[in-house]
Formats: sequence, C-alpha cells, structure tokens
Amino acid sequence: MQRILALVKMELLKLIREPAILFLNLLFPAILTLVFGLAFGGIGGGDSAIFEMMAPGLFAYACIFLIMTVAMSFTEDREAGLLKRINVTPTTSSQFIGSHIITNMVIAVIQLVIVFLLSLVMGFQPNIDIFGFIMAFIFMLLLSLCSVGLGLITATISKSSGAAVGLSFIFILPQMFFGTFIEPSGVTEGIAAFLPSHYVTEAIKTIFNGGSPFAMEILMELGIIALMTIGIVILGILLFKRFGKV
Amino acid sequence: MVMKDMNNQEEMSDLIDGLKKEINSKNNEIAAYIDKIESLEQEITRLQKLVPGEPSRIRFKTEKPEDVFDPDSESAIIIKDLVKQFEEVTAVNGINLEIKKGELFGLLGPNGAGKTTTINILVGLLNPTEGSALVGGYDVKKDLNKIKEMIGVCPQEASVYKFLKGRENVELFGNLFEMDKNLLKERADKFFESSGLKEASNRKAKGYSGGMIRQLNLIIALINDPKIVFLDEPTVGMDPRARRNTWNFIGDLKKEDKTIILTTHYIEEAEALCDRVGIIDYGELIALGTPKELMEKHDAQDLEEVFMKITGRRILEGA
Repeated sequence: MQRILALVKMELLKLIREPAILFLNLLFPAILTLVFGLAFGGIGGGDSAIFEMMAPGLFAYACIFLIMTVAMSFTEDREAGLLKRINVTPTTSSQFIGSHIITNMVIAVIQLVIVFLLSLVMGFQPNIDIFGFIMAFIFMLLLSLCSVGLGLITATISKSSGAAVGLSFIFILPQMFFGTFIEPSGVTEGIAAFLPSHYVTEAIKTIFNGGSPFAMEILMELGIIALMTIGIVILGILLFKRFGKV
Repeated sequence: MVMKDMNNQEEMSDLIDGLKKEINSKNNEIAAYIDKIESLEQEITRLQKLVPGEPSRIRFKTEKPEDVFDPDSESAIIIKDLVKQFEEVTAVNGINLEIKKGELFGLLGPNGAGKTTTINILVGLLNPTEGSALVGGYDVKKDLNKIKEMIGVCPQEASVYKFLKGRENVELFGNLFEMDKNLLKERADKFFESSGLKEASNRKAKGYSGGMIRQLNLIIALINDPKIVFLDEPTVGMDPRARRNTWNFIGDLKKEDKTIILTTHYIEEAEALCDRVGIIDYGELIALGTPKELMEKHDAQDLEEVFMKITGRRILEGA
C-alpha cells in the first residue's frame, strides 16, 4: 500500500505542478462547460432546453479527455526513463498501473464535480434524486476507467508523448462526435453502438430527465459499459505490460 | 656461309643458356619472397593472438562456466554463457563472469559494446536469450522480485521527476522500497549532506543543473541501502569537480562493503576506483583483471592505453 500511495501522491503533485496536465484535466472541461453554457444555456440568453440536452454529453467529454492525459503521462515517463527506474524497484506492474487508475479516478471525481457545479450555474436543472445521482456518477466513473484503459493502449502504440497526443484522437474523436451530445443517426448509430461514451451519455440523459436509475434499460447500459470497461482495461494493461513498459 | 650459320647457332645457344640461368635465378628469388611472405603471415597471426583485435575469433573466458556457476559461492554476481540477441544483432555474446561480494567492478567498452545490455539483464529489465545469471544468489529468470529488493540502479539517463523537489524524488523511491519513514529521512539527510545538495533538496528538480540531477540520480539509487549497486555511467555530464566528489562518494560506498558495478567511458575513473575491470567489445568479454594486471599484460602505461590497444581495431574500422 505504501508504494501505491507514494505513486498516487506523485501523480497528484504532477496534476498540480504541471500546467499542461492541469489545463487538460481540470481547466479544459471547466472552460468547455462555460462556453457551451454561455452559448446554449439560460445565462447566455439562449434556449436552455438545448443545454439541458447537452449537459450529459459534457460530462462524458471530460471523462473522454482522460485518454490523452493518461497516454501523455505514461509516454513522458517512459521517454524520461522513469518507467525503467520504477521497474527496477520491487513495485509490481499491478501496483504501478493500479496507482494510475486510482489517481485518474480521483481526477475524474474532481472533473465531474467541477463540470456538474458549472452546469448548474449555467442553467442546467436535472430532475434527479440521490439514487439517480449515484448511478450517474457510477456511469461516469466507469467511462473514466475505460478512458484509462484506452490511454494505456494509446501509450503502448505511441513512440513519443507527441505521438500519444495525436494518436489519442483515434479514440477521442469518434466518442466525442458519435457518442456524446450529437444525436447519432443512420451510419453513426451503428458506430455509436461500439462507443462506451454513447451508453454513458444515453443512460445519464435518461437519469437526469427523471428516469428511474434502476430501469431495465439503464441496467442494461450499465452492464454493457461495465463489460466494455473491464475488457478495455484488461487489454490496455496486458498490451502495456507486454509492449509499452520499457 | 656454312661457318657463319654455325656461329649464329652457337650464339643463340649461349643466349638461351643465359636466359635459362636468369630465369632460374629469378625463380629462386621468387621462392625466397614466398618464404618471406609466409614467415610474415605467421608473424602477423602470432601478433594478432597477443593483441586480441578480432573478438569474433579470439574469445576470452575468465573461468569455465561449470566452475563459475556455483550458487553457494561468495560471489555477488555470477554470469554464465549470457547471450542477448536483438533480431539480427547479438548485443551480448556468451559472457562468463564472476563478481565478488564487496568488489568495485568496472565494466568498460566502446559505445554499443553490450555493457548496458548486460546490466539491464542483471537488473531484470531484459530477459536473456540464452545463459543465466545469479545476482545476490538469485536467478534473474526466476527470482526477480528478490533481486530488486537488494539492488540499487543508477541509470544512464538522469531519471528523476522534474516537477518534484529533490527530497520528494528521494522519498518517492524510498517508499517504493517500503522503507521505514524515519530511516528514509535519516538516509536522505545523510546523502543530501554528503553530496552537497542539502540546500537544493527542497527545490524542484526542474531547476537543477545537469550535475545536480546526476547526483540526485545517484542518491535515489542508494536510498534503499542496496547490497549490490549498478552505476551506469554515473558521472556523464559532470564537471571535473562534481565528478571528483562523486568518485569520493562511490569510494565511501565501497567502505560500506557494497558490491558496485560501474560502467563508464572515463577510463581514468575506472582506473582510480575499480578493484577489477572487464572490457567488453562486440558483446564479448575480451579482457578481465585488475587495472595493474591489465597494464602489465598489455605493456601499457595506463588503462586507457590498454583499452585503446584491445579495442583499437574497432575504432579504426569506425574511422
């Protein structure tokens, strides 16, 4: 546990002290929420109903960008020889990757709180009870975990941190455009069926509109996103351990 | 008329005889040259054996593998027939070596000779293609976790977290070895004091000079009080004063009875610090002994001359 806590502390210090990481993880989702809120929310004089529809997608947005920060973090550490250095200590791969998962879950929670509070300020009025809130939170944490897995896959296939930023868009763009607040139709509907963010956005949209968090549809979506997350995280860990660590 | 013809025939016959004699004489000269060439070739072969310039043909072995590979021995490191192949390239080619406990051993060799690959195998970063190695009595193929608990590694790259303070870096790695908090602080204080980084220890590593980062790199490698320390070119980029400080620092480690494996390009560093040195080239161990032994053996003034003599062919090829 001492090892995991030390690594989590280090990663959180990185979040605070590295401006690029701080911007991507916390400021970017906040700015995005403010911009969309001003453009489409009640405060900006727009139709707040549009923002009501968009808000669940914005939560997913914040989680999706974890792919880039996770991939950057791993590749930067690898370039600096830090992964090798950690690899010659008794720290196991599970402890190392586990610490990253914990850190990114903490970051995801902070992101979600920021985006949720700013959405409320911008005129978002969710029709939700405590159970709905908890369920929405679980969905978004699963999406964040899924993003960590995709970040690991990106880090594995990237030769440098610059490449990691570019390659992360392979996973970010489809999820952004076909799996968040743009309603899929036709071909995009077929693509959306393979995107974790699609199930999360659909579920939290229903929950925020007053739907029961325990409805069969929601539970089905929870099952799908849980399975996708487990598969992607396991694949990410295996690929990174095999090809990406040194 | 008949008389004239007869005279001509005699003249021709004399001329032919003369030519025959000359040809015989030249043949004898050629035969002498051939003998001389053969003799020179033999001399070249003999000299090549004295100066092993072709490692692919002349292979050096310290001991027979069966003598070396004794798990109960007092050796800190035992390497047996170690081979590492990267696709077409053989980076390490059948090294056999024994490093005793408490020894400061220098691993020298030109760039790409196989030094770092050998160390990476010993610390568990690479798997050997063939052969085996024991570190602290544990097999690198089976007991890597036990090996990692007893070693300290100072890598070639200055691998520190730049956004962390010097002390935070040291604490992070101390915690990865699950060190007791008080002991960790005590050792960190001691090292920051002795390395001259005490004042800078509470500053972010981002603001450190190259030499300071190198020293921090070294402190991190030693924080867990390792029994066996691998120092991969620890003084690269240091100014002469910082390098001299680091030499003293390494010398002090030896007094603590640690086994130290040092790779360096600074031959004078190896000569000043090491009990024994091994020279690797083309992935093979081509020389082994104390600096004095090697200088005597190769009739050299210093270790650098030894190094140049036995790796010279490679340098000439590269030039």
